[in-house]
Parts: sequence; C-alpha cells; structure tokens
Amino acid sequence: MADITGADPDLGLRAVRSLHLLADRLEALQVNRARELGWSWQDIAERLSVSRQAVHKKYGTTTLTRRP
Amino acid sequence: MFERFTIEARGAVVRAVEIAQETQSDSVGDLQLLAAICERTDGPAVEALRSVGIDPAALARAATDADAAGLDSEALAAIGIDLDAVSAQADKTFGKGALARAGARMRRGKHRPFAREGKKILELSLRELIRLGQHRIDSGHLLLAILRMAHGDAYRVLVNSLTEAGSSVAALRSALESPAEGKAAS
Repeated sequence: MADITGADPDLGLRAVRSLHLLADRLEALQVNRARELGWSWQDIAERLSVSRQAVHKKYGTTTLTRRP
Repeated sequence: MFERFTIEARGAVVRAVEIAQETQSDSVGDLQLLAAICERTDGPAVEALRSVGIDPAALARAATDADAAGLDSEALAAIGIDLDAVSAQADKTFGKGALARAGARMRRGKHRPFAREGKKILELSLRELIRLGQHRIDSGHLLLAILRMAHGDAYRVLVNSLTEAGSSVAALRSALESPAEGKAAS
C-alpha cells in the first residue's frame, strides 16, 4: 500500500507537486473573491502572512483579480 | 515529419490542438493527444483499446478531466485529499470549473502550440514506426508512443483505465503491434 510516508517516492512527490498547484490555484481564487467582496490588499496580505506589496504584485495586475 | 502521418493520425493531432484550445490549456500535451486519439470512432488505436476492454469514449473523458484539473487526484488521495470534493467545493464557491480556470490563467504566457510532452509523443511515434518497420504513422503509433512515456500524465490515465478493464500495458501494446491477433483474441 503506497502512502506519503511509505516507500513510494513517485507517489509522494506527485502529491507534493499537486499540493503546490492546488494551493496556488485556491490562493488565486480566494484573493480574487476577496477583492470582489471589497477586501483591501492589506486585509488579504495579513491572512496570507505576506506583505501588502507582495500580494498586490502577484495579483494586482492579473485579469483574474481585476475589478470590472 | 507530418508527411508520414496517415489522414487519421493527422486528424487526431488537429483535434488535440482544438482540445487544448477548448480547455484553455496553453499547449498540446500528452493528455490532449490521448483524448483526441480516443475520441475517434475507428482506426488502429480505438480498435486496440476496444480489444482490451476499454471504452475509448470513457478514456477520452478521463484524459480531458485529468487535463482540466491538471492535478493528480491519485497522488492527492494517497495523502488523504479528495480532489473531487475540493473541486466540488471550489465549483460551489467560485463557479463551475474554477480550479481548472485558475490553473489555465496561471499557466498563461508565451504560446507554444506543443508542450514538451506533446512533441515527445510525435517523436516517439516516429521511432515506433521505424521499430515496427512500417511506413505511415497512424493513431496506433501515437498510442504506442504514449505507452513509452511512463512518467506522463496520459500514461497514468491509460494505466488506470487498463487496470479497471482487467487488462495490462503489455496486452494493449501487443494489440497495437499486431492488430490481427488483438482482434482474434477479442
């Protein structure tokens, strides 16, 4: 039986890669939604434990978070 | 190289490009090629798949789903994460296909018609053709090429499908390499 602590690095590494991807996508979706609901960059940044500049730089100019 | 492709195989490649566009993938990879090959109604690849008990249309859907998510549900399940549940929740909160959409946006950038995996399959199909001493690349050679990419996403989808059908990579390979025997065995 393969699990992340088991002897199958292939499965474990694939899980890690997918977790990274999943976290990135959920972050983008959540940031987008928070902005739509009127959250400030500062409020979003605090929840993500990053600087306001960092979160704005990452999402501020993408179409995903641009306000209509 | 394309002059060596049969009309049927060219059709599959063209369809793979369309699938990549429809699913907002940035380029044609192994999953799009697998989906395109399986969507065909006839030809060596779908005949071989049927001979080992696989429904090509179901496999095409599995490949498209795997591509749309771009996430490895099998590996995530191994650490206790139910991707279907996460995906359903994301759909509810952010709208249908949210995870795939977010993935497509994040992958945007320089447009390449073919991803590395896609190119590799085309190269490997030529190698399969030469190995078998044949002259024209058909969908069967494309599928054999996918079977050579043991670390690819398409290979994984295909192996899952083979396992569910109670078949094996070896059985599919032999059905592809000697279509007549494959038919006789079915």
